[in-house]
Amino acid sequence: MAAHDPIPLILAQNTAFVWDVDDIATLRTKHGICGVLSGTLPHLSQQNVFLGVPLILMPEEVVYLVQKEIAVLIDDPAAYSTPSNFDLTSWITAQEESVEHQLSIAQMKERKERLAPGRAMSEEASRKRREREERNTRAISETTNGGTEPRSTFTSALSPAQAPISSAAAGYTVLIPTESNKLPWYQPSNERCVYTLLADTKKKGIWTFPSTLHECARCSIFRDLREKGYYIGGGIKFGGEYLVYPGDPLRYHSHFVASVHESPVSTLHPMEVVAHGRLGTATKKAHLLCGWDDETKEVSYLSIEWGGFG
Amino acid sequence: MEDHPSYPVLLPYFSKYPRAAGSLFQAYTDIVYSQQWLDTEVVDLERCGRAAIKGRRKNEETFSYVVPCALMENISFGWLKTALADLSSPPAIYLAITTDDSSIVYYKISDGIVKPTM
Repeated sequence: MAAHDPIPLILAQNTAFVWDVDDIATLRTKHGICGVLSGTLPHLSQQNVFLGVPLILMPEEVVYLVQKEIAVLIDDPAAYSTPSNFDLTSWITAQEESVEHQLSIAQMKERKERLAPGRAMSEEASRKRREREERNTRAISETTNGGTEPRSTFTSALSPAQAPISSAAAGYTVLIPTESNKLPWYQPSNERCVYTLLADTKKKGIWTFPSTLHECARCSIFRDLREKGYYIGGGIKFGGEYLVYPGDPLRYHSHFVASVHESPVSTLHPMEVVAHGRLGTATKKAHLLCGWDDETKEVSYLSIEWGGFG
Repeated sequence: MEDHPSYPVLLPYFSKYPRAAGSLFQAYTDIVYSQQWLDTEVVDLERCGRAAIKGRRKNEETFSYVVPCALMENISFGWLKTALADLSSPPAIYLAITTDDSSIVYYKISDGIVKPTM
């Protein structure tokens, strides 16, 4: 993707995902937006140490990126149009070809194995196999000689070890693509599902953040901190709403735990000052009270630390 | 009560702000006699409905400010900003949080984004 193209944020169920690793790198290095990697492996879904795509963005990050015209929102369910007959036919054909291809490979392998049975086996194993085959052949010829029916051509021609594997037994894999990008009916860049304005996504109900005063305060505070050069992450580990880093969180410890105050008059209990202040000081951080004034549309800050006496 | 050495100094503010009398008395007494701040004086903080304490911490040249408040009070972001503004905008104030059992704790409230001291 060229640097000036807006980054597509894939929306599903009011959550924004980024699936392209180059986009994730651009967001982080150029725009200071980190998000949270959340993808794991289907067979190791409980491992959470090395996570990959998709990147899930905080709602404030999404609003910031769209308002700054860095990203556009993609209504993902709407990006899947009804496949045309031609698309469907070629998809089915491709599926059938894949099955045939897999079966022919399996047969080829089987044939190779039959022509050179010893290739994969040790001397010892191949000697045992030869002996077993000879025993079987003797047994079959004895039954045939003793029976009334003459042996059919089919059974005489093949020993049990040489019988071909039927297609049903060989089986094949049904491939389910991990991303939709190659499906001809997936058109995320169709203007029908690309949104550049939050007002439009709100009207459609596919992205409603921010809709309350508190959410508006969060967005304004996030934006202000980001514009001041800080990197912002989730604050749950330290009992706040954000962790505020002086640079990329991979390089720096956070300096602040932030809490959002939606109005200058919203209640603040002195106990909160004590709890935040003491925890922050104990973790070498200051607590940041972030205040939003909806009348003046201004953000202001207060930093709390333990006084050091008393 | 009237015999306590803090009493005569604080009396005008007790009658002006009776609701804040308890925490003011406790904070002032602690600052003067326990923390032993120097050149202490009581300053009116009308918009916050109380008085604050101005003084120099031991071994410090500059003046610091203490705003008393009871643990069970409800304050706000704007209230703290007002206190800072009305105390002639120092870089920081100390919020003295007092409880009924006479314990007291001070938190430093700095204006703006101020990095923690290392």
